[in-house]
Amino acid sequence: MPVDLSNLLVHTLNGVQYGFILFLIASGLTVILGILDVLNLAHGELFAFGAYVAFSVFGYVTGAIAPPSGAGGLALFLAVSLGAAVLAALAVVPLGAAIEAVFLRRLYGRDEVYQLVFTFGLLLIIKDLNKLIWGPTPVRVQSVYSGINRIPAAELVGLNFPTYKLVIIAVGAVVVAALFWFFDRTKTGRLIRATAIDREMATAIGVSTDRTFTLVFALGAFLAGFAGAIALPQSTANLAMGANPLVLSFVVIVIGGLGSLRGAFVAALLVGVLSRWAVWQYPPAELAAPFAIMILVLLVKPDGLFGTWGETA
Amino acid sequence: MSDDGTAADAGSASREGRLPGIVTRDGDRYVRVTRGLELPPRRAALGLLGVILFVAVPDLATLSPLLQLQVVHQGVLFGLAAVGLNLLLRHTRLVSFGHAAFFGTGAYAAAILATHFDVTSMLLLLAGATLFGTLMAGVVGYLSLRHTGLYFSLLTLAFGQLLYAVVIGQGYFGSSDGLSVRPGEANQALLFGVEFGSEAYSVIVYYLTVLVVVVGLLVMWRVINSPFGNALDAIGQNRTRARFIGIPVRRYVLAAFVLSGVYGGLAGGMYGLVQQHVRPESTLYFLRSGDILFMAILGGFQTLVGPLVGGIVLVFLQDVGRDVTSYFDALTGVVLVALVFGFPRGIVGSLKRGSPFRERLGRLAADPSLAATWLRGARDAAVAAAYRAGENLRILLFGVN
Repeated sequence: MPVDLSNLLVHTLNGVQYGFILFLIASGLTVILGILDVLNLAHGELFAFGAYVAFSVFGYVTGAIAPPSGAGGLALFLAVSLGAAVLAALAVVPLGAAIEAVFLRRLYGRDEVYQLVFTFGLLLIIKDLNKLIWGPTPVRVQSVYSGINRIPAAELVGLNFPTYKLVIIAVGAVVVAALFWFFDRTKTGRLIRATAIDREMATAIGVSTDRTFTLVFALGAFLAGFAGAIALPQSTANLAMGANPLVLSFVVIVIGGLGSLRGAFVAALLVGVLSRWAVWQYPPAELAAPFAIMILVLLVKPDGLFGTWGETA
Repeated sequence: MSDDGTAADAGSASREGRLPGIVTRDGDRYVRVTRGLELPPRRAALGLLGVILFVAVPDLATLSPLLQLQVVHQGVLFGLAAVGLNLLLRHTRLVSFGHAAFFGTGAYAAAILATHFDVTSMLLLLAGATLFGTLMAGVVGYLSLRHTGLYFSLLTLAFGQLLYAVVIGQGYFGSSDGLSVRPGEANQALLFGVEFGSEAYSVIVYYLTVLVVVVGLLVMWRVINSPFGNALDAIGQNRTRARFIGIPVRRYVLAAFVLSGVYGGLAGGMYGLVQQHVRPESTLYFLRSGDILFMAILGGFQTLVGPLVGGIVLVFLQDVGRDVTSYFDALTGVVLVALVFGFPRGIVGSLKRGSPFRERLGRLAADPSLAATWLRGARDAAVAAAYRAGENLRILLFGVN
């Protein structure tokens, strides 16, 4: 079958963009899993919470400060909306810190099923919290956000591709770089990795595991919220939006190797690109593609692509 | 039909003469239910009471609008799947996150047989459901049991979601609308070729469920008290050691997995008969798997009947919660969080004699002023934890000073 090259490029770009969204979601989950050894089922709801907050913040900030008109106005609009995404993610941080310090901390020594039950209960509670604050009907920021897509960035090279997706790729790349830099080069990041490798030894050399764990959970919550805020403009924020990202990030972290950040990154791009190609060639595969990819990868490499967390970032 | 089932557990003098027998061992008297199952009189009475209540549900349901046969029935069926899952959870310590797959396979097998092959017999539909649930468990188990721990959980979840994705994408399975299992009075499934009106139908299916559940519990009891069950316990405690003492670990765990699939498939098939329509959302979605897992823990996964009780309570909570508040999800969530921190042994586990809860209750009855002390303690702990969280946040944002 002849494949149109620019079509292939567009679908690949779509896949890369999807992959970066997946990575943004899965990174928080994998960091929490790698260090705290807790599978946070409420991660998807934190993602949704971030999206909802972003809806409020975007709606307020972008409308009030920089209406999208003219080249300079558009650039400012872009900057302001990215700032708004960060703000939205920051709003999730105290929630995450409180969850870890008040509840989750008491469960580390216990059977893992209790952590699952707790985070599942949390999932249900945060879901209804979103319902309480923003109401049961979906909210949409499309009108505000179509502004960014009016910047014809991709048309310079003769492609028809929404600018906002390019923004996501760029932002995703920055986040990936920042995370690797954080865990590789900063002292805090290294201490976190040390805690992940050997909790007792880390405590012995004076690392406060309590604070490390709170920090890590808050970081995971931040990443979830940021992913929600960044992914929001492409669709609506609704109450059911947390489930899919949660399951997809399971797929990503299983392919990558449980708790491996590098694995999550590679797996996210793999799943993103392959599933977009699959959907392009055979549209009904949309829901099943990520899982099929996962099972294929696991048949070849049962432990995922990369090992566990800590030794390498 | 239903008489047989209740007789097996409660004991009726008509069968075999040996039932019920009173046996005396070490000076204590036990009620013998079947070979090898002897209960102390109190527990036998409790069990009998449970079975009577269970049988009486259709009559009780006419007394109060709060209690609906359909809701209890659904709860029992999910509970039955949870009983199957509990074999893995309690004994091999494997947390399966994909048991909705077997439940859903059972439900869909019944629906497909009814819709595409025009099978009318209830028992044939159930047999098909059980068969396909078992086969699915064999395949999923074979592929996911290479792993333990979280990897296993996530793999079972992924297989479940794959199944969900396939079903929802294919017209053969009715896509997101699902398939019906002989709806309408003229068309209903038959038991031994006999037709029933729609009122009678739901009651008949309910009693069929009672029979299946009682037999299912007895079989499960036999299994976990057999050498095979002990081997599973050993595997749960330490796989390596279990292998060293000669237990074929993989084969045994796979057998347990498949057996739990039998329960899931059968329960799913019954669900199809009850609801007369199966949808992917309500049978195959991963939140259903979560429900089934949390039913087992809610009821008490260290007990035999706990998962069943958990199933009834959780479904009841979701259904009645829907009428009481629009935040019924949060209601369930709060119950689960309270369970984790207050009643880790679950409902049945907490009520067992010698449990911390019973002990506390006893102390409270002796000295009611303890309640105030406990409340104060809980408040102080919450305040301290909130303070710690604030402190940590301050350190995160502004450094150690």
